[in-house]
Order: sequence, then C-alpha cells, then structure tokens
Amino acid sequence: MSIIEKAVDWLDVRIGVRELAKEWGSGYLLPRNINFWYSMGSILMFIFVMQVVTGILLLIHYVPDSEKAFTSVTAIMNDVPYGWLIRMSHAVGSNLMVAVALLHMFSVLFMGSYKAPRELNWLSGFILLNLILALCLTGYLLPWSQLSFWATTVATNSAGAIPYIGPALVEFARGGKLVGPPTLGRFFALHVALLPAAMVALLGVHFFLLERIGISTPPFGHGVRKAHWRGDAFRYDAHPGGIPFIPNYLMQDATSISIYLALFLAVVFFDPYMFFPIGAFVPANPYLTPAHIKPEWYFLPNYQTLKIFSSELVGLAAQGIAMTLLALLPFLDRGKERHPLKRPVFMVASVGGIILWVGLMVWGHLS
Amino acid sequence: MKTLGAFLIAAMLASLPGALAAQPPADIVCVQCHGRQTGRTGEPVALWRQSIHAENGIGCNGCHGGDPNDADNAMSPARGFIGVPAESAIPAVCGKCHVGVMNDYLSSAHGKALGGGGPTCVTCHGNHKVLRASLDLINEKDCSRCHGFERARIIRDAMQKTEGSIVAIDRRISRYKNEGADVERIEKGLFALRNRFHTLFHDQDVEKVWKEAVRIDGELGKIEAVLGEMNETRRQRKIVGAFAVGGALLAALLFHLLRKSYD
Repeated sequence: MSIIEKAVDWLDVRIGVRELAKEWGSGYLLPRNINFWYSMGSILMFIFVMQVVTGILLLIHYVPDSEKAFTSVTAIMNDVPYGWLIRMSHAVGSNLMVAVALLHMFSVLFMGSYKAPRELNWLSGFILLNLILALCLTGYLLPWSQLSFWATTVATNSAGAIPYIGPALVEFARGGKLVGPPTLGRFFALHVALLPAAMVALLGVHFFLLERIGISTPPFGHGVRKAHWRGDAFRYDAHPGGIPFIPNYLMQDATSISIYLALFLAVVFFDPYMFFPIGAFVPANPYLTPAHIKPEWYFLPNYQTLKIFSSELVGLAAQGIAMTLLALLPFLDRGKERHPLKRPVFMVASVGGIILWVGLMVWGHLS
Repeated sequence: MKTLGAFLIAAMLASLPGALAAQPPADIVCVQCHGRQTGRTGEPVALWRQSIHAENGIGCNGCHGGDPNDADNAMSPARGFIGVPAESAIPAVCGKCHVGVMNDYLSSAHGKALGGGGPTCVTCHGNHKVLRASLDLINEKDCSRCHGFERARIIRDAMQKTEGSIVAIDRRISRYKNEGADVERIEKGLFALRNRFHTLFHDQDVEKVWKEAVRIDGELGKIEAVLGEMNETRRQRKIVGAFAVGGALLAALLFHLLRKSYD
C-alpha cells in the first residue's frame, strides 16, 4: 500500500473523503445536453487563481508609496526575473477576466439560467461582476503612472455629481481633496485585501447556491427537458441519467481553460500593450494633465453615456437605474420559458442592448 | 416582458464605477485673451500652438514674462512682463533656458554679427512657431536670405548621418519606453549626445563639425547596442510565447479528445 493510499485511508475513516469524492465528482451528475458555455465559470475560477498568484508575486516587490510605486513597478518589469511576465499576466488577466465574466453573464442571460429558483445565483454573480470591476478600478491606480493617476482623478470626480453627499463622497474615496498618497493607500488596501476577501466570500455563496440548488439544464440541445420548479417547496434539481462531472465535464473544463490559456499567452507574449495606452509607462505628474484620457474598454460605455447626457447627474442616474434593473432581472422576468428563440421580446431587447453597449464602447473609443 | 425589454436595453448601457472624459488643461489667460483676438495680436496664439514650446508646455510667459494666471496683471512689468524683446536682447531671452545654445550662438559667426545685421535665434527657429532644432533648419531657402548656401551645405551633409541615427534611436527608445522598458539611462545618454550634437549646428568650422560628428556616431553605436539587446530579448520572448501558445492549444485538443472518449 502506497503512502498516498494510506493517507487517503486515514482521512477516509475520519471524514469520509471517498464518499465526498464520489458525491462531488463521479456521482455529481450534469444534464446530458450541457454545453461549452457552462465552462465559463471554471475559466473565471482559473483566472481568479492566476490573479491571486500573480498578485502575491507582485506584492513581493511592489511598494505602495506614491514616491516609490512607479519605480518599483519599473523594477518589476526590468530587474525582477520574469517580473515582466508576472506583471503582464496580471494586467492582461484582469482585462480577460472582465471579458470572460461578461460572456458568462451573457450565456446565463440567453439560456435563461437566472430564472427561478436561481435568482440568488444571478444576484451573487452580478455582485461578483461588480467586484471584478472594482478590483480593476483600484488596481489601475497602483502603478502610479500618468494614466492611472488621471484616470482615477476622473473616475472619482464623477461621484461628485451626486447631490448633497457627492463632494464628501469624492473626498472620502480620495482621502483628501485631490488624488494623492492617501488615495494610493486606500486603493491598495481595497485591491489587495478587502475586495479579494469579499470576492472569496461571494464565490463561496455562488458555489454553495450552485451545489445546493443544482445545475440548470440548457434550454436546447439533445435530450432537453422542462424544468420542474414549482415554487412550493425546495427541491434539488437532480439530473438522473446525466453525465458525471468527473471525468466527463472536467475534461470540457480543461479544454476550455486550455483554449483560454492559449489566448491569454498569445496576448501576454505577443501584444500585451493593447491594454496599455499612452501614459501607462510615464510616472504620475499631478501638474500635467494629459490631453485625452480614456478609461479601459469595459468602462468606455459608461464614459460615453456620461458624455451623451447634458448633466453628469443624469448620466450617473441612468447608469444606476440600469444597474439596478439588471441586478433585479430574475425578479422582473418571471416567465417560465427559457429557450431564447421562444422569447422574441427578450431576444430583441438583449441583442439590441448588447449592440448598444458595444456601440457606445466604440463611440467612446473613437470620440 | 415589455418592461424587461426596456430595462435590458438600459441595463446594457451601464456598469457601476463611472469614468468621465478628462478635460484638456485650461489655457493660460494670455491664450484665452489673445486667442479671441484677430490680426497682429491674435496671430501668435495660432502659431504658438504649432510650436515645440506648446508641445512641451512652455507658455507665453516663458519668454515674455508676466502672470499667466491673473488676467488683470498678466502684462504687468511688476510681474516680470517684458513685452516684445529688442532684437539684440533676443539671445538673452532664449538663453534663459537654452544657456549652452546661447553661448554656442554668441561664439559663432552668427552671434558675433548680432546687432550688425546678423541673424538672431528667431531668424532661423521662428518666434512664436518655434521649430524643433533639426538639420531641416539649415536649408537653401533660409540661409540664402543672408548669404550663399555652399558652406552651410557642407556642414549639413556632414551631420546628416548622425542626425538620422539620433532620430532613429529616439524612435526606438520611445517605442521601448511605451512598452515599460527601463530606458532612463540610454534616454539621458541620447539627450546629452543630442545636445552635444546640436551645439555643432551653430558652428561654422567644417573640420571640427566633421570630427565631432564621428565621435558622436561612436557613442550612438553604444546606445544602439543596448537597444539591440532589448530587441533580442523580445524576440526570444516571442519564440517562448509561440511554444507556450502551441502547448496550450495541444493540451486543449488532447482534453477534447479525452472528453470525446468518455462520451
């Protein structure tokens, strides 16, 4: 008997690891018509782990001091062995994390997986998406470059349009009247401690709900079956006769993650600079405002929305309303039908919304 | 469902943290006021906007003095306003910042003719539309305004190669800088070499210009060697990257086939 088998036996008699492995692995059955889009969550988990690992490695050399931050990042890029790879992986990973999170959300949207009884899955996922965006925003300031300094100045400024509490809110976020060393301290604490901790907690909730309620059945594909949710009592959405998670779907997850990895590595090694606009490698200068600052691609629709409306407050309010409605989607859309082609109004609205969102992004980029 | 449709369109508009467009920096009061004027008093603003001074954030007050933030006292002599400098005072005005160049100029044939019909800084470089110092300033059209072009042509031709190298190296350094490379040392080195080279622009000693240009070429070669190393590092990274991407794609294919075998 090998030492591993002995260790497993030791754990098995105490906490029943073999039973757990069967329950969570080969005994965890998934719908037979499960598709590629269900692996987006696994890709996101992979990216999150990569971000944590590269973030910890960056922390070893990064100095969260406005006098030293830029120099320390330059040293990471040039002097630390493989520092450029770690930093580029972290920066590219953050962008791709937003992209994959959006794909995850769109797939849930089109397959109607947010519908009852999975309202809480949607809500926790929605909060997770916002945490990802908050992580991106706070991480943007840390290199203390011209780009990060002025982008943060502009982003925090927009909160000032909120009546009564706006100016106080801006000052609270910045730790002063202007973006400066206290802002860096705050954003650093948020980026490396508070937001990741919140994300881990929310991920726990998201997984608990997934495990507790059961995975949804895609509304199309071979062997599709109608959901049996009636709303009278809790029932686990089991998939008798389905395919086991281990090894079948684990291989799909591994395939998807490998494809993601190929894309990620291609960007990191061949053109990571697509995510680094002009000013990203110039030290912050509070006395020199660059002529044009634009946010990252995922904030461009917000940027353009604020420019469209005559008042910043109206622009902010429009975004706030839209976000609230998106968060409450499962509570508003109570229809049982989940097949996208059998929900024409939903399809037109969703596709139109996505086109509008992408259009605003392109407009914001070109404006 | 209609409510849902309407909200989805709105929902796609937004996500939480908003970011606004950065406003360009506000113009100084000189530009605000003269920019609205037409004719002789308005022309300098449009010219200045195309200048190397504007590109580097040097405003009107950099040369004319005055207070660029106080409209009432912008042209007050008490705030250092000097107005239009006299011709003989022009080198001193430019020399407030370009000290070395002023000395080069004053010791040159051009500088020695100052006040006696010789050219000042603005004769070649322009006044409001101040041009970046380059060999293009030594041209038949401009030089022939005062004298023949033959001697100037020899000097310009002698410096052409060096100037070309400096411009090419500058571009490469900028490219690497925009990729996060630590180019501070070679950037400073090039800056010093460029300044050293530009001192020759005001010299009319052909042999001296030729020898110094050769020495500067040698120094530029060292910077090019550093840039060559950077280029090689990037090339090697791409080779490694190609293998990494290929490996990931191969893994994807294997996992896919493995999954198929379970079906």
